[in-house]
Amino acid sequence: MQITLTVNGLARTLEIAPQAVLADVLRDGLGLTGCKIGCDQAVCGACTVLANGLPLTGCSTFAFAVNGATITTIEGLAEESLHPVQQAFATHGAVQCGYCSAGMILSTVALLARNPDPDEPTIRAWLGGNLCRCTGYARIIEAVQAAAAAMRVAA
Amino acid sequence: MDGMHPGTTLPSRDAWEKVTGEAVYMPDLVIPGMLHGKLLRSPHAHARIRGIDTAAALAMPGVACVVTGSDAAALPAPVYGVVLWDQPLLATDRARYVGDPVAAVVAVDEATAFRAAQAIRVDYEPLPPLMDVDAAMAPGAPVLFDEPAAGPGLSVGVGSRFLRDPAPNVLCEYGFTYGDAEAEFAASAHVFTDSFAFSKLAHGFLEPLVNIARWQAGRVELWSNNQDPFVLRGDVARVFGLPLHAVRFHTPLVGGGFGGKSYCKVEPLVALMARKARAPVRLAMSFDESILTTTKHPCTITLTSGVDAKGRLTARRADILLEAGAYSDASAMVAVKSGFRIGGPYRWRAMDSLARAVRTTTVPGGSFRGFGGTQSSWASESQIDMMARRLGACPVAFRKLNALDPGEPFAPGDSGMDSDLAAGLDAVTTRLGWTAPLDAGRGRGIAIGLKDGGGTGNHAQAIVRVTHGGEAIVSAAVVEIGQGARTAICRLAAETLGIDESKVRYAPIDTDHTAPDNGTHVSCGTTVTGLAIVEAAAEARRQVMDFAAGALGCTPEALVLEGWSVRRGNEAHPLEPMIRRHYGGMGWEFIGRGAFKDPYIASAPLNAKNMFWIPCWSGAEVDVDRETGKVTVLRLVVGADAGRAVDHVACIGQIEGAAAQALSQALFEELRYEGEVPVNAAPLDYRMLQTPDLPAVFEGFVMEHGTGPGPGALKGIGEAGMLGIAAAIANAIEDAAGIRLTSLPFSPEKVLAALDAKG
Repeated sequence: MQITLTVNGLARTLEIAPQAVLADVLRDGLGLTGCKIGCDQAVCGACTVLANGLPLTGCSTFAFAVNGATITTIEGLAEESLHPVQQAFATHGAVQCGYCSAGMILSTVALLARNPDPDEPTIRAWLGGNLCRCTGYARIIEAVQAAAAAMRVAA
Repeated sequence: MDGMHPGTTLPSRDAWEKVTGEAVYMPDLVIPGMLHGKLLRSPHAHARIRGIDTAAALAMPGVACVVTGSDAAALPAPVYGVVLWDQPLLATDRARYVGDPVAAVVAVDEATAFRAAQAIRVDYEPLPPLMDVDAAMAPGAPVLFDEPAAGPGLSVGVGSRFLRDPAPNVLCEYGFTYGDAEAEFAASAHVFTDSFAFSKLAHGFLEPLVNIARWQAGRVELWSNNQDPFVLRGDVARVFGLPLHAVRFHTPLVGGGFGGKSYCKVEPLVALMARKARAPVRLAMSFDESILTTTKHPCTITLTSGVDAKGRLTARRADILLEAGAYSDASAMVAVKSGFRIGGPYRWRAMDSLARAVRTTTVPGGSFRGFGGTQSSWASESQIDMMARRLGACPVAFRKLNALDPGEPFAPGDSGMDSDLAAGLDAVTTRLGWTAPLDAGRGRGIAIGLKDGGGTGNHAQAIVRVTHGGEAIVSAAVVEIGQGARTAICRLAAETLGIDESKVRYAPIDTDHTAPDNGTHVSCGTTVTGLAIVEAAAEARRQVMDFAAGALGCTPEALVLEGWSVRRGNEAHPLEPMIRRHYGGMGWEFIGRGAFKDPYIASAPLNAKNMFWIPCWSGAEVDVDRETGKVTVLRLVVGADAGRAVDHVACIGQIEGAAAQALSQALFEELRYEGEVPVNAAPLDYRMLQTPDLPAVFEGFVMEHGTGPGPGALKGIGEAGMLGIAAAIANAIEDAAGIRLTSLPFSPEKVLAALDAKG
């Protein structure tokens, strides 16, 4: 079957199998391997991408279900320079092995789009769907706060 | 969570790659023409394999081949393990745990391979399972292996003994003794005996295990996410009877390891699959399958410890029973290290420790961030606290009275304590607010976890290449698994070369080109390999200075290297044009080599003096809900001594990350068996720490006591943060509710049962 997606600003018409999931279409079809598959069961959130600005788990979303959507993956986030959330993650020790980072960063982008000044309980609750086995999360939460502050200044 | 640290406004190259999605991991790699593998796993904990019918699978379109135990058994050396070899590439005569790989299918895609695997018929004759240590050691228990484990075993030093197969179903035992424990107990004012249990745990790395193998021109090339490419090169060469240079391992960035990607797992099997399929083969495991590959050893530890009338520790006897699971993996190392470390950071007049690794029909136990150190610290620091409370002593003062002084040997013949234990304890109690009033239902606890670091007789080599333009390529085998090795090692090279860090890159790891090391284990990267790196960089720098001196007709001592110029007096000479003039062509590289070997010393208990000590100062404040039994950790403080922090943020991250893993294990993690089956070996069911579980206050801190053996007095800390957490929380629970939990995790059921028992 055929679907159309706008992926990181580029219109794409794709021939997919009906059972294809979005993560496989992005990784195998478009080479966007920044979308990581960890648990493959929508538990760890490593495969999080944005569809029309909202986070979803690519490993367990049928590609046909997002037909027509605007998809943002980690590869599409930075423009001239790093996105403030990327910048904050990279400079606050929020990244160790990096396997959860794309999902964490995109979840954070979605959070800050709806709430530019989240308090710590809000951040903790929002990121509950993104597992990180390396950092212990404290630096990630700090990075989210730093990114929010930077984006409020820029806005 | 304190604020930003100096020097962190520019992303490191490592972080930049990871936040942009440019970083390449094993699951992202594609080799042209590759086929895909899937494993069929045993549904029985213990069964004889009477026959395998692969006809239906082979008849399916798109199936290239099926590999079974008989293919594996025909290899020159068909078993592997760490110093003790007993694990076949595939179960051959017997399957020994639920999840034991029995057959491997190669097909055009994963879905076909998966369907074909389901079509394989295995004729099993179920045998009695051995689901725990008691069953395995019971008289008359079935014996899991017909022959003793092969392999070189371990050489230990004075005071230690290592035996393989000392009793049926016992893989190995390690004993460690000094002094006369019996006499010390007899002379002690009090002697306490307590038992502790540690649960079976999954590593939980997010990046699944993926390997690709390709045979070409008589050699095998593997792409693999692992922690020790040179160890694996040796294993694959041995299994296939190949010379080392006929095996080549590529190791990209690794998405978390924690020991779960240490040592041989399925690499030889994937090589065999590719050889039989006559094509490159990729085997990608699921998260579930990673859990079924290796775990952290559950154990019971019984400690008998004496104290004299002045509150000074006298002697300790330890009986450590580790559930090793079906195959050896790293059980020998875990037995040795848990038995050796059981005394913790204290002064004992006598020690008598016995650790046994017992075979059971469960997922094999392997290395997991500390080789038995977590288990030993959990038991030891629980009992030390219990003893202090029983004696009416302050847990802080009791520890300080008995803690090793700086420089004091851990044991006869071993190295001295190289951290200030009391200073670390003060740092924790201050942050915890040890003496502040507490609300009802709350309590505080502390612990000092301890392990040895850097490995035993460890070694590493390194190459540093400096171009005519003053850029450096550092080549070493420390695998970047999230610990920040690339950044730290490049920084060490930059410091030595006197060039900016941005000019230094870490080369991809390829056993054909990379200088070897022993593996990314035991918090050794920046210490052991770091010393080799610094030597290599210093050698390259010497070559640069000798060249410049020759070109300028002076001695190297007359020159100062500044940036990429040499200065003689007030004349600066840029190096690049000087080098280009001399060499012409494409330019030149100054190639420095470095090596480090920690010597073997038979008079040390482990046959080498410990390189450095890794203490973990931990403190917790908890709330115990008497109605629900729920333990809430309100405040968790954890610190370690980096000697010198080469990358402060990375050090804090290592400490906090390890502590969070230990917190997760203390509160809810456990690989549970019901009958023969691990019932929660899946991401939905295997509960790991998430952001809402974090304590309200979670603070990691790094100390720099300046006495490590690494470059500039640094030492490793990667494993530190785990060591003391569980005990600190158990100690806080007793403080809060007057109950003592001696088994992990601290579930509401256990808390309620203990409260009921207390009445």
